[in-house]
Amino acid sequence: MEFEEIYKTYWDRIFRLCMGFVNDYDAAQDLAQETFIIVWQKLETFRNESSIGTWIFRIASNNCLRQIEKQKRFPKSELPVHLSEEKQTSLEPQIQFLYKCIAELPETDRIIISLELEDIKQIEIAKIVGLSEANVRVKIHRIKEKLTQKFKENGHR
Amino acid sequence: MDIDNNIDFKDLWKKQSVSQPDIQDLLARLNKFKKAAMRSLWITNMLLFATSAFIIFIWIYYQPQFVSTKIGIVFTILAMVIYLFVYNKLLAKYKNIEAAQSNQEYLQNLILIKKKQQFLQTKMMSFYFIVLTVGICLYMYEYASRMTFLGAGLTYGITLLWMAFNWFYIRPKQIKKQQEKINVLIEKFEEVNNQLEL
Repeated sequence: MEFEEIYKTYWDRIFRLCMGFVNDYDAAQDLAQETFIIVWQKLETFRNESSIGTWIFRIASNNCLRQIEKQKRFPKSELPVHLSEEKQTSLEPQIQFLYKCIAELPETDRIIISLELEDIKQIEIAKIVGLSEANVRVKIHRIKEKLTQKFKENGHR
Repeated sequence: MDIDNNIDFKDLWKKQSVSQPDIQDLLARLNKFKKAAMRSLWITNMLLFATSAFIIFIWIYYQPQFVSTKIGIVFTILAMVIYLFVYNKLLAKYKNIEAAQSNQEYLQNLILIKKKQQFLQTKMMSFYFIVLTVGICLYMYEYASRMTFLGAGLTYGITLLWMAFNWFYIRPKQIKKQQEKINVLIEKFEEVNNQLEL
């Protein structure tokens, strides 16, 4: 797979994963870009042991974990990123609330639920995170309960 | 109930507005990133090179007679070289940490590297100071031996005082500062790693 193709296919999904982790548009944009820089650097080391999706999501989630270190000096986007203009304004409050709730979860839970919502098979999630499939299933169940609870408390349906 | 919520969350999740930056932006950033990495490598090496060149210049220009002076020079350079070498190696290891392992393995590696860094910073710093002090004392001996007793005493006295100040004040402070930062990180990474246990 060519880098450009990967970039086009995976950008949205990686961005959402990062967004779920930090719930900050600019920071998520930075994290996603960093991910693709790593992907670009490591692409030739990719062997088809796992699917390219699993591989990329591993890199992305590891990069999210690593930004814990930089948290205090949070990176602001240096580049004038060519954003389409409708940025954030059309966001329904419910969507914002979901991302906010997710970003408040423990770090690894953020990753797990983001991957689940991204429709990644639980066996793949297990491979990305490094847990057994059974553990992943239990975790997802608990996280969803937590989210449902928060939505109810907040009066969203 | 559960299925209902399930669909709901997924649907909301995917409605998050996303804008894919132009790939040219990314490539520009990539270039900048590569240049920055090259520059830092250059600066480190230039510094090391300049210091060594300066000391070698002294060696050649002043033609020290005593073997103690020469040993002193070698010690001083060695202290700096070893320090920079170990530090760079650790940095490289940190930068090149395998990015595509599972989160759990990745976290454990991060913790391991941070612990190594913690160890190195205390031990290496002390080692650096000791070798540097010994090197400088040896180096000065030849010149001090030509001075009057008072002059030599003063020269050594001031130098050793300065070294003592570094050893007892600057060094612990430096180590403490670094340790605090690393300890917070190790704790945090361990906490995240523990989240993976049910």
